[in-house]
Amino acid sequence: MLNIKELLDTVKASPYREIVIHAPHTGVVEFTGLKAGDRVHGRFGEYKEKPGTLLGHLTREKNKKPIHAPEKGEVGMIRTELEGKFVEAGEPLVTIKHFLTRQEVIELVLQKALYLFRAPERAKYYFVPEVDQKLKVSGKRSVKVREGMELMIVSRMKRETPLSYSGPEGIIYSVYFGRGDNVDEGEPLIGVCPEDQLSVIQDVVARIQSEWEEE
Amino acid sequence: MDTDRRIQDIKDRLAYIRDIFGGKEDDHIRLLTAKLGEVLDRDAATPGGVQAEELSRLEDLFAFSERKLDTQLTPMDRVRIVRHPQRICLKDILENVYDNYTEIGGRGEFNIDPSMLIARAYFSRRVGERIVNQMVMVIGQEKGHGEAYRNGGSVKPWGNAKALHYMKVAETENIPIHTFVFTPGAYPVEDWPGAAQQIARNLYEMAALRAPVVAVFSEGGSGGAEAVGLADRRIMLSHGYYSVISPEGAAAIEGGLRTDSRATPELIEKCARQLRITALDNLENGYVDRVLQEPPLGARPTHYDFFRDLRRELIQATNEAVSEVRSMKLFRAMAVRASVGDAEVVFMRWNLSSSASNRLVDLRQRKFRAMSRHACLDGTGLIKRMAASARGTVWAANSFLRYDLLGRQKKRLDAMLEDLGAEAHIVRRKLLMPLKRIMDSILPVTNVEQQKKGDAVRDRLTRLSCPEDGACLVGSEWAWISPRSQEDRTVSCPQVRTHHCPDLWVPDLYGDFAGVCPSCGHHFPMEYPWYLHNVFDYDRSREFNQRLESMNPLGYEQFDAKLDQAKERTGLKSACITFETAINGVETVVAVLCAPFRGGSVGAAEGEKFIRAAERAGRKRQPFIAYVHGTAGIRIQEGVNGVIQMPRCTIAVRRYIDGGGLYLVLYDTNSYAGPVASFLGCSPYQFAVHSSNIGFAGPGVIAETTGMAVAPDYHSAYHALSRGHIHGIWDRREVRKNLHQALLTMGGRNLYYR
Amino acid sequence: MSGTGHKVLIANRGEIAMRVMRACVGLGLDFVCVHTPEDVHSGHVRLARELGGEGAVYRIHSYLDANELFAVADAAKATAVHPGYGFFAEDFRFARRVVRRDRPMEFIGPSWWVIRDLGDKINTKRIARSLDVPTVPGSDRPVYSEMEADEIAASLFEFQATQGIIDGVIMVKASAGGGGMGIEEVGSFDEFRSVFRRIRNYAKRNFGDEGVLIEQRIFDFNHLEVQVVSERGGRNHVHFGTRNCSIQSTGKQKRVEVAPGFAPGVVPYTFDAARTLADITDYSLAMAREAGYDNVGTWEWIVTPRGEPFLMEVNTRIQVENGVSAVISRVKGQPVDIITEQIRLALGQSLGYSQEDIAFEGVGIEYRIVAENTDNRFTPCAGTVTRLSWQEHDWLRVFTQVPPDAPYDIPMEYDPNLALAIVWGTDLDEAKARGLRFLDELVLEGTVSGREGAFYTNIRYLAGMTGEILEF
Repeated sequence: MLNIKELLDTVKASPYREIVIHAPHTGVVEFTGLKAGDRVHGRFGEYKEKPGTLLGHLTREKNKKPIHAPEKGEVGMIRTELEGKFVEAGEPLVTIKHFLTRQEVIELVLQKALYLFRAPERAKYYFVPEVDQKLKVSGKRSVKVREGMELMIVSRMKRETPLSYSGPEGIIYSVYFGRGDNVDEGEPLIGVCPEDQLSVIQDVVARIQSEWEEE
Repeated sequence: MDTDRRIQDIKDRLAYIRDIFGGKEDDHIRLLTAKLGEVLDRDAATPGGVQAEELSRLEDLFAFSERKLDTQLTPMDRVRIVRHPQRICLKDILENVYDNYTEIGGRGEFNIDPSMLIARAYFSRRVGERIVNQMVMVIGQEKGHGEAYRNGGSVKPWGNAKALHYMKVAETENIPIHTFVFTPGAYPVEDWPGAAQQIARNLYEMAALRAPVVAVFSEGGSGGAEAVGLADRRIMLSHGYYSVISPEGAAAIEGGLRTDSRATPELIEKCARQLRITALDNLENGYVDRVLQEPPLGARPTHYDFFRDLRRELIQATNEAVSEVRSMKLFRAMAVRASVGDAEVVFMRWNLSSSASNRLVDLRQRKFRAMSRHACLDGTGLIKRMAASARGTVWAANSFLRYDLLGRQKKRLDAMLEDLGAEAHIVRRKLLMPLKRIMDSILPVTNVEQQKKGDAVRDRLTRLSCPEDGACLVGSEWAWISPRSQEDRTVSCPQVRTHHCPDLWVPDLYGDFAGVCPSCGHHFPMEYPWYLHNVFDYDRSREFNQRLESMNPLGYEQFDAKLDQAKERTGLKSACITFETAINGVETVVAVLCAPFRGGSVGAAEGEKFIRAAERAGRKRQPFIAYVHGTAGIRIQEGVNGVIQMPRCTIAVRRYIDGGGLYLVLYDTNSYAGPVASFLGCSPYQFAVHSSNIGFAGPGVIAETTGMAVAPDYHSAYHALSRGHIHGIWDRREVRKNLHQALLTMGGRNLYYR
Repeated sequence: MSGTGHKVLIANRGEIAMRVMRACVGLGLDFVCVHTPEDVHSGHVRLARELGGEGAVYRIHSYLDANELFAVADAAKATAVHPGYGFFAEDFRFARRVVRRDRPMEFIGPSWWVIRDLGDKINTKRIARSLDVPTVPGSDRPVYSEMEADEIAASLFEFQATQGIIDGVIMVKASAGGGGMGIEEVGSFDEFRSVFRRIRNYAKRNFGDEGVLIEQRIFDFNHLEVQVVSERGGRNHVHFGTRNCSIQSTGKQKRVEVAPGFAPGVVPYTFDAARTLADITDYSLAMAREAGYDNVGTWEWIVTPRGEPFLMEVNTRIQVENGVSAVISRVKGQPVDIITEQIRLALGQSLGYSQEDIAFEGVGIEYRIVAENTDNRFTPCAGTVTRLSWQEHDWLRVFTQVPPDAPYDIPMEYDPNLALAIVWGTDLDEAKARGLRFLDELVLEGTVSGREGAFYTNIRYLAGMTGEILEF
């Protein structure tokens, strides 16, 4: 049986996640004068239509693009020595100390509680169209998976092969990969909740909802 | 009357005066305050209270001051009067003006839209010995003295749909319609049937509604007013306003303010004055037929004399509208005209014969056609104008000859020949094929012949086809390329977050790609000349009414300079370009609304050009295409001169469509407000270019009036499509092809090429 | 030389980047190279550091983002761009941007308008037809109307019948398509109309253009190429012989290339093979002259079992297999490197020799060594190469980005080629024997997910195919 309290305590011991913001591509970087310790926020607004705190700009081929904070947190390191310099793609620019939100803690704990269906190899993964459609329209938790069900498409070296689900029957509770992302071998793809455990899982969620204050 | 109540009454009158003067300081108000204070003090000090005579004196003073104050009312004060909860509302009118009424479609808040009220009402008239009940359909906004569920008279799209439904009922039942305009504006939501699209539908139907319509304007807020305002007789209450936009809205635009800051009261006053929104202004401009005088400082529910006046006025107006189109005109019409002041003495039936309702519609259409001519400049010389009108007649006659008289005969003949040809073919086959088969079996085709045939096939499959086109088929497809393509820089696609599009090099984007992101299909806004040249073959088109020019009919401050600037920057004289062109061989009339000229806003000149284009297309039996490069709405600086283009242009379009033409609207970039809510939104064929936005009010206005934040893509073409407002979305690069396809497959019976 | 002072941005990866680097060094040119995070251990990055120092290497997020390449070019002050093959090599807009931007550079490849004109298959076909160069029978412009399509299809079946082909097949493909998408074969006229409609709708949906091409389907053909080299200005053209690239994987990926294209007199053919080789060479040069071709390029041909050649397309770039042509070519008796020629000519040098100065000697075979399961539809292995080694010979050259001394993770994002080996022999028999010897000595080991058994290579397949080289 899952020891939620213990899990929560481990999370509480280190409730932060460090987010490193890399240069998404090459270009000349300029910062906006933020310093270590400054508070930043992520996207907000009713439709998440307003971007997070402006951290700086990256200019490439005369296109000056803003870099926004992806999440709420506190600026850890900021590479001000790069101000006005050309940086290569992937250069770390800013780190943000992000206090885990309730939703993130739920996901974290659920990873321990759910059955995780893992990537059999490093590749890009997609849901088969029918499942994809259903997830889009009705949301997660609308798709039930069974042993042997053709669930995903593995895209590797321009070849696509189907991937069948194996594991206990249940509903898809969490999805851990993004469209077009490379997933390393052994990383979880989806978290499945067997139907008889649904109430347990919901309890976990409710517990965290009440115990974790950070929104 | 008991003293306390009289004192309370006087207190209320003072509070009302303060309300409508918006806290302005004034000698009269100070005096009244002081006097009332004295009386109150004395009332408290004197056992048994003040004397009745003292109160009467105070009441007289109030009456006197109110008359005085009435002469000082500014336009903004009038706005406050009509917005005041004590202002008469439609329910009061139904109670006091008509002899009886039954509300239809709701009771209080149990109503599909409590802000739109429908009622069957009647006037009881004594005719000789009999009592005759004259039925009317009453339709109008209900503000309900501030009841929250009435939404301040701001009607939702389905409320306007209900109004239209009962207009059609009145038409069927052959009774007149009385509409009452009590609205600050329509509720700007896009849910089906859609704010703009429903108003457009109402206008389109009212443009040819076969029932007399009398409209009474108290608060005429722009598009919301037009939804029920297109009438044969338009009466305005003396303390009402009729405007293109609320003075606050105008001030916000004038001051260039964002939604969260407020304009100063002075600026709002100034805008109210400049917009010429009062009853007298509108009478002078010809947008209402008569002004009905209200009691000092505006009609309130206790002004029974006023209701009597309104009753008389309504009967008179309905009589006029009916008598004008009656065939037995002479006597009664004279009587009606003579009866001004005492309409009730004349009795006439209000039902119309079929030919009378035809005349009614025709008169109504002419009435609006004649409006707002003073509000634009026609640079075309007198002789040219006369020539043009003569030409119009010639075209119409020519079209009739060619396509009706001769064309129909020719078509019939063609069809017959085609049938004959088909028959002949069958006969030939039946007769000849067996013969050929026999011949072939007797005389086998020689090898040489077969060889020759084989060579021909081989040639066709291996030689260059259409050598006249040259070997190279590649090269730039576009006749006009945006000057932006000359700049060496890159831009990000706005959909990069969801579609991960790589940055685009501007010369490729605006050159080869025609402003379309190759990875996600997002359409970057494109200049209108792109369409003129790549879609409409502008170099070979014939432009007309080029010299019809926008002006500043209200003398709006600083607007002359702004207008000159727009004219200079764009080289246009108004936001509308009209021309004739051929689209793959089909002669077509095109009207373009250009966003760079004052946001593509529509004023009197644009409206007039649009109407003339529709009339020209009708006379020449050509399809009529409205390409909306972008429009921000009605040009607010022209006031009602602009708003009136909504019914005017809709009527022109209605006449054109009824004449059997094809009216197609293509939206691009951003199209909002009045034009969409009238002559554009009423088209049965509305298409949009990818990534365009179509709607009634922008997100800022929606947030302000409804208190809801809308999603950033609320007005996107795809949403407009799923809501049923438009009928297709086109790729910019395929507009010409799609238009040609539309010309061939859509539209009515009276196109010259049918 | 006029090319000195240039700095070349190598906008590619793997073995081609390495060969371009070496060619630059040979010409005394500076260079700068790019790599993605996935490619950080690729041999081309290591070689760039060796030859050009730390400043010659830039990390970018994608080889497919032109803006990254130009940003690096400006940062490194490059004056010329070599696109390699794949990626932007045949993108005329990229080539145009190189020369039209505010800080223009030289594009090492044909001029952009040449790429545009010959990059379009329909256009190429029309240019060919205007010069009476044979092309696959069928339409040479997009067909939109059903009636026209019916007519072409009917005549194609009829034509094949006159050619003695009983079960003729025609191909219906979206003219805007590519890479095998939107193509269907039709075996009889009855099926044609529904297939035509299907492809037309597919094309409309996917490419926004309903144009369809209708062509004869040619079976059992050999795939030949002519290597053309032209001077800037488009006036002087030479060829470096022919290649035969008929040995391909099921996915139509070339695996073995041989120069010259046939071996008349050694291998028996049912047609005049020498004549066919001469014809396709002449046709290719005629088209190069007509199109004003002005850098290296490859004319691809298919040859039917009766020896009829049909032009397929023109590759307006350097190709993987350029080395196999170079290995049999001598200019004024000296060996030649086609990549070096490409760079030199693109930077404005004149050719300096004519066709008479070019001689051909012996036979070259190129093997593409790939980690793939040849028995299971050539499925590529995404694993780690633990060892790649071979015996050096003076008749052998091997190009690889796999580092000799460290394990190498095969990146999944790119072409799975691991190495190219070019073997030379005085005649076909010797070349084949040396080829087999090389493959025998070659060691390629690796793991997939830590297991050795799951790692496959195509070495046995290559050895097996060596016996069939140039047979038709």
